[in-house]
Amino acid sequence: MSEEYDVTFIDRDETSARFLVRGVTPAFANGIRRAMLADVPTLSIDTVRVIENSSVMFDEQIALRLGLIPLTTPDDYRPDDTVTLAIDVEGPDTAYSGDLVSSDEQVQPAEADVPIIDLKEGQRLELEADAELGYGKDHAKHQGGVAVGYRHLQRVAVVGEKSEFEDEEPRILRGVIEDDGELVDTEAFEHDLTNRYPGKELEVTDVPNAFVFDVETDGSMPIDDLVLKAAESLSTRADELEDAVQL
Amino acid sequence: MMVPVRCFTCGNVVGQHWEEFKERAREGEEDPAEVLDELGVERACCRRMLVSHKDLVDIVSPYQ
Ligand SMILES: [Zn+2]
Repeated sequence: MSEEYDVTFIDRDETSARFLVRGVTPAFANGIRRAMLADVPTLSIDTVRVIENSSVMFDEQIALRLGLIPLTTPDDYRPDDTVTLAIDVEGPDTAYSGDLVSSDEQVQPAEADVPIIDLKEGQRLELEADAELGYGKDHAKHQGGVAVGYRHLQRVAVVGEKSEFEDEEPRILRGVIEDDGELVDTEAFEHDLTNRYPGKELEVTDVPNAFVFDVETDGSMPIDDLVLKAAESLSTRADELEDAVQL
Repeated sequence: MMVPVRCFTCGNVVGQHWEEFKERAREGEEDPAEVLDELGVERACCRRMLVSHKDLVDIVSPYQ
């Protein structure tokens, strides 16, 4: 690729980010997106040993709910490593994800306030669960990335004035535009270009090989880890392919 | 029965917002749209998870 590779962050916090990547092909951009969804492993509850469940939900329903709770995933876990978590709540009370007690300090529910089951007088939930490191391609509960997407960066240019009697029609754009070399969030003009340039004739073009990514995580890892691990997984698999086809 | 842990469509975790949403928008008088905005539930797919939810534990528990 002749164009220079470059990454610019537009928004960034612990669990979500928006960044512009220049100098990559559409295929590579999509590869990164898919890797963030399917190839970055996260810990999630997989096996449940129920000791007592006298709640109104079946064991399987409780197990599904537990599986969907994101767990913080430290770097040093390998596929098939397990962590044991336990929960014991007696009614009348509500069992929350934060009531899970983990055998590993570093592995904790990313959200502590997710209600698991509402327990009435005399009901009890006591169980042990094994969390496993797994991949998003095997089960959605292992997806670290949530609503990961990208779109082309669009460049806006003023090409002239609108004639006096021409109707002003909304020109809706969403995401980030490049205007005179400057990156502008479309929220700044309520996603309607005519708010920014009333009465102007505009031309909007896709900037080749520049993509604006929107990435969120479910809390199992910080956003930087997710993106870096996705890129790493892509490069590992490319190396594996190279080795495999060598004569 | 209980509020879904995650959004069915995008996989975002929404369960933790239910109790506050219920208290403010269902039992309270606040505008559900504003409450959801404040809770940071942005996408329509996640918002409908809370807007369309009904707790059923109290209804089924007598029939255990
Ligand atoms: Zn959603």
